[in-house]
Amino acid sequence: MSVIRSQDAQTEGIPVTSCWNCRAAVTGAHFCAACGKVQPLPAGASYFAFFGLPQKLTIEPASLEGQFHMLSWKLHPDNFVRASEFERNLSLERSSQLNDAYRTLRDPIARVEYLLEHLGVRKEGTTRQQAPPELLEEVFELNESLDELRDARAAGGDVAALQGRLEAAQQNFQEGLDDVDTELAALGREWDAAVDFGGDESKKQALLARMNETLNRRAYIRNLVAGVAKELGS
Amino acid sequence: MGRVVGIDLGTTFSLIAYLDAQTGSPKCIPGPYGSTLCPSVVSVDRDGKVIVGEPARAKLLTQPERTIYSVKRLMGRGVADVQDELKIFPFRIDPGSDNVIRVRLGDKSFTAPEISAYILRELKSWAEAYFNEPVDRAVITVPAYFNDAQRQATKDAGRLAGLEVLRLVNEPTAAALAYGLHKQKRGHVAVYDFGGGTFDISLLKLISTNEGDIYQVLATNGDTHLGGDDIDNALLDLARREIREKFGVEFDHRGEAIQTLRKSLIRAKHELSSAQRTIVQYPLESKGMYVREITRAEFEELIRPIIARTMAPVKMALADAKLAPQEMDEVVLVGGSTRIPLVRKTVGDYFQRAPHCELDPDEVVALGAAVQADILETGVKTMLLLDVTPLSLGIETMGGVIAKIIPRNSTIPASAQELFTTGVENQTAIDVHVLQGERELAKDCRSLARFQLKTPPGPAGLARIEVKFLIDANGILQVAARDLRTSEQHTVEVQPSYGLSDTEIERMLEESIEYAEQDFAERQVIEARTEAETILAATDKALADPRSREISAAERKAVADSEAHLRAALAGGDYKLMRTRIDEINAATAHLAEVLMNGALQTAFEGKRLDDV
Ligand SMILES: Nc1ncnc2c1ncn2[C@@H]1O[C@H](COP(=O)(O)OP(=O)(O)OP(=O)(O)O)[C@@H](O)[C@H]1O
Ligand SMILES: [Mg+2]
Ligand SMILES: [Zn+2]
Repeated sequence: MSVIRSQDAQTEGIPVTSCWNCRAAVTGAHFCAACGKVQPLPAGASYFAFFGLPQKLTIEPASLEGQFHMLSWKLHPDNFVRASEFERNLSLERSSQLNDAYRTLRDPIARVEYLLEHLGVRKEGTTRQQAPPELLEEVFELNESLDELRDARAAGGDVAALQGRLEAAQQNFQEGLDDVDTELAALGREWDAAVDFGGDESKKQALLARMNETLNRRAYIRNLVAGVAKELGS
Repeated sequence: MGRVVGIDLGTTFSLIAYLDAQTGSPKCIPGPYGSTLCPSVVSVDRDGKVIVGEPARAKLLTQPERTIYSVKRLMGRGVADVQDELKIFPFRIDPGSDNVIRVRLGDKSFTAPEISAYILRELKSWAEAYFNEPVDRAVITVPAYFNDAQRQATKDAGRLAGLEVLRLVNEPTAAALAYGLHKQKRGHVAVYDFGGGTFDISLLKLISTNEGDIYQVLATNGDTHLGGDDIDNALLDLARREIREKFGVEFDHRGEAIQTLRKSLIRAKHELSSAQRTIVQYPLESKGMYVREITRAEFEELIRPIIARTMAPVKMALADAKLAPQEMDEVVLVGGSTRIPLVRKTVGDYFQRAPHCELDPDEVVALGAAVQADILETGVKTMLLLDVTPLSLGIETMGGVIAKIIPRNSTIPASAQELFTTGVENQTAIDVHVLQGERELAKDCRSLARFQLKTPPGPAGLARIEVKFLIDANGILQVAARDLRTSEQHTVEVQPSYGLSDTEIERMLEESIEYAEQDFAERQVIEARTEAETILAATDKALADPRSREISAAERKAVADSEAHLRAALAGGDYKLMRTRIDEINAATAHLAEVLMNGALQTAFEGKRLDDV
């Protein structure tokens, strides 16, 4: 079995431990450089570190996929069917982490969410939805149209006109969503630059806070779009 | 260690295959009747002997009450789940069943994994005869859309058949493996698998890397209760209605007559895959003959809604994979029902390309299983399968709402960590309910398991228990918990919502090992003897009890006599006589037991009586 060289980024904040098999020093690498045995996951290691990546938001999809395939090839439980139970469990732990990390990092939105969670800016699983102030009026109108549509349906009234209005609104919000995504991408680039050039801590914190706020706005609009789609689809 | 094999445990047919070391290609093993297909039919004859496959299929007509087909439909399901199916399938469900269905075959009842284990044992014996060597490990295929309970039930069946299940592999993925090996193609492949009882669609990406080929499943979807069986039932419905209207004859849907009718309709269905018309003839004893011509066109009208039902999962899988139908480079057809021309046309039209069907659709799944078995046996060298979990995993939160923790179509193994704490002061247990499914409310999803996290009393929110949910490479859930405050591993006793517990499996295994080689009569003798000995010991104890003086001397003598008779019967080897004597002693001691009201004695007697029913 070939060894994946310990990558620089992987050592970030990860304590040096010794290999369970040969006691050689290991710093978060998937395999021991000395004996090649799969190693336990260090506590608190991030998905970025798992792939040997810095904590930046621009990730080249093809290279991430290539890494994913390469690591799958080595870590997948198929390789460990005849290993000891201990090693089998390590493979299960690492390969599930690999899949979880890939699933998260390949999706640009999930990637930002994860970074914020990992840095403690966002609480896991909480998508606080904020109504964007500039959209409040439109949201109000939308809810009204939705109510009218439901009433019209119940009363067997004319729904065609209302449906047209809702479709237009849906289109509008979809565009809003695209704008938010563009905004998020721009913030991401700023963040990457700050990481590269060692931007000061307060600037980084401010960027993270803005990304968090943008994500909340995004969640809100997305829910609106989904709600309208559901109403129109039924 | 013995050989490894790949097994396709199908709804209608099962097959066993191995990888031929000489040619490097997989091969199916034929059974004693020359065919590689083993009908998934099990029959238990009057003296308790289990018959599997072709001879059992014959019993479907002569002894339907002792014979079962399509048992795969019952795997991992509870009684409430199968109510609809019971209207059309002649399953005889034991009234005592709840979350594990027991089926009556003659005078005994069996769980679905036990019945499936008989099919697996039969196949295992085919392979052992073929190799002249023991076979003890297998890869078994399951429909991609099987949930956790259905997968667990399949794994249990393997264990009960004396096989170490190296891996459960999804049927369409196995087919892709066999197919990819055969064609050496790369790109996006759609596998449309329409079998006897299940429908699956899987979308894969075949990639060549420096190390070898990766078969990565991007998305899967399906219906675990949609297949050729449903077409048969549609034809059966039509015929029954016409026979009722024209001849006034009503069928018992569990009787023998309907099995004969069903058989001729299936033959007609198969003929219509190549012919434009066919004639069904069915004799109605005194009432004459039901003769019916069915044209291809009429048949297609009848089955159109069934085929349409396969397209919704296809669309969902494409949406999840973010692919358009025309982006698929290849479309592969698997399963007997894809021989139907309308199925081929529907699929071909949708994907805008002619589907592939050059590999035998009956064998391709088993062949792929054999390839995977070899990979696991000899190590990953040239190929790697990356499969996904078909259904989202979630936990129930406040108000019965589901919080999704692992989304569907995640590559497996996949995991999720959740932190649990107490909500009120001095709470000592936190209930966790795990579910699978896409709906938002817990009540609409499939309950997988429940467990309790125990914690010492303390202020609310103090406890910190981290639970790790992990879906392994078989698609089966594993749960582990850790107390973050003490960093101690927490033991969780997971109670599966459907399916057998470990203890039940152990018991069945013990029984099966103990009894596998013994014939029915021998087993009866052992059972009767054990029972007799328990009763004799309990009776002796009862007679020694001072309170037993309350019964009359005559009764006392009757009890003593019945004891002597039973002992005499035990000396011989006739289990029927032992049974009679046991019944007699039970009758003779009834009053004694009542008088004593002795807990232990009472249980001893009652226990036995319950077993008898
Ligand atoms: N020529 C044919 N025309 C139409 N249907 C056919 C033909 N040949 C087989 N079938 C049907 O195919 C089904 C069996 O297919 P297959 O053996 O692939 O299913 P299975 O593997 O037993 O089931 P599953 O995969 O759903 O568990 C049966 O319903 C059978 O009637
Ligand atoms: Mg099949
Ligand atoms: Zn080492």
